[in-house]
Amino acid sequence: MVKAYGQEHVYKHPWERVTSASWRKFSDPENKRTLSHIVEVDTLNHKLDPESGKLYTTRAITVHAPGPWFVRKIIGQDICHCVESTVVDARTKSMQLNTRNISLQKFLEVEEKIRYDPHPDNPNEWTVCRQETSIRIKPLSALASMAEKVEQKCAEKFMQNSAKGREVMERMCKYLEAESRGIAM
Amino acid sequence: MRIAKKDKRDQSSTSPCAHLRAAYHNCFNRWYSEKFVKGQWGKEECVSEWQKYRACLSEHLDDKHLSRFLEAEIVPSDLGKPVDGVSQ
Repeated sequence: MVKAYGQEHVYKHPWERVTSASWRKFSDPENKRTLSHIVEVDTLNHKLDPESGKLYTTRAITVHAPGPWFVRKIIGQDICHCVESTVVDARTKSMQLNTRNISLQKFLEVEEKIRYDPHPDNPNEWTVCRQETSIRIKPLSALASMAEKVEQKCAEKFMQNSAKGREVMERMCKYLEAESRGIAM
Repeated sequence: MRIAKKDKRDQSSTSPCAHLRAAYHNCFNRWYSEKFVKGQWGKEECVSEWQKYRACLSEHLDDKHLSRFLEAEIVPSDLGKPVDGVSQ
């Protein structure tokens, strides 16, 4: 069974600023308190294609306490490694992030896709973020008998965390806006 | 035994690389917002920061699944099917 849901959010900031904020979202110490479920973010690999202006990055994201407490109890660990693959196309202005778990795979699969594009109504000033998350409990795992409840709880948790993520993104954008004004003055 | 009980929340295998990681990410973030998105994508920067950070990671990253990504060459097609409209 797969539970999937999508969300859309419009940032009233240009694409360049929003995607800069996206890179900084996990590393800024100010945000660490809000995003307390993120333990560590490491860049594992990156590649720049100087011809096309595309940047490929792979990061490891270590998440604390995936899902609700009873899931942690069953799977017996409270740390989960995820891999985030990002493509930024500077020429067409698009950023795509794809994140999936690489630990706990025998229990569940979570995939999150995020995309940042200039907003069609105001491409130079606004950015639209589309997010799609799917959660799948493996059919024969110890979690299968309560799959529906687990998926529901996981979905709630993800919703809470993505709301926090947006809050952090808005704050980072304001900060970057102030910083760019400071430099311009 | 209080001493033996470390707070795992703030610890991870790559914690020893925290300084090198911060140096690389600071450099990357600056390059990204001041150059890359402004059309100056022709030249890779932060190379020495990356080399130091990466060397530290390959020493400390103890998760096999993750260290695989350190060595692997990034293949664009591995990044999954793009969400509508963006060509590879």
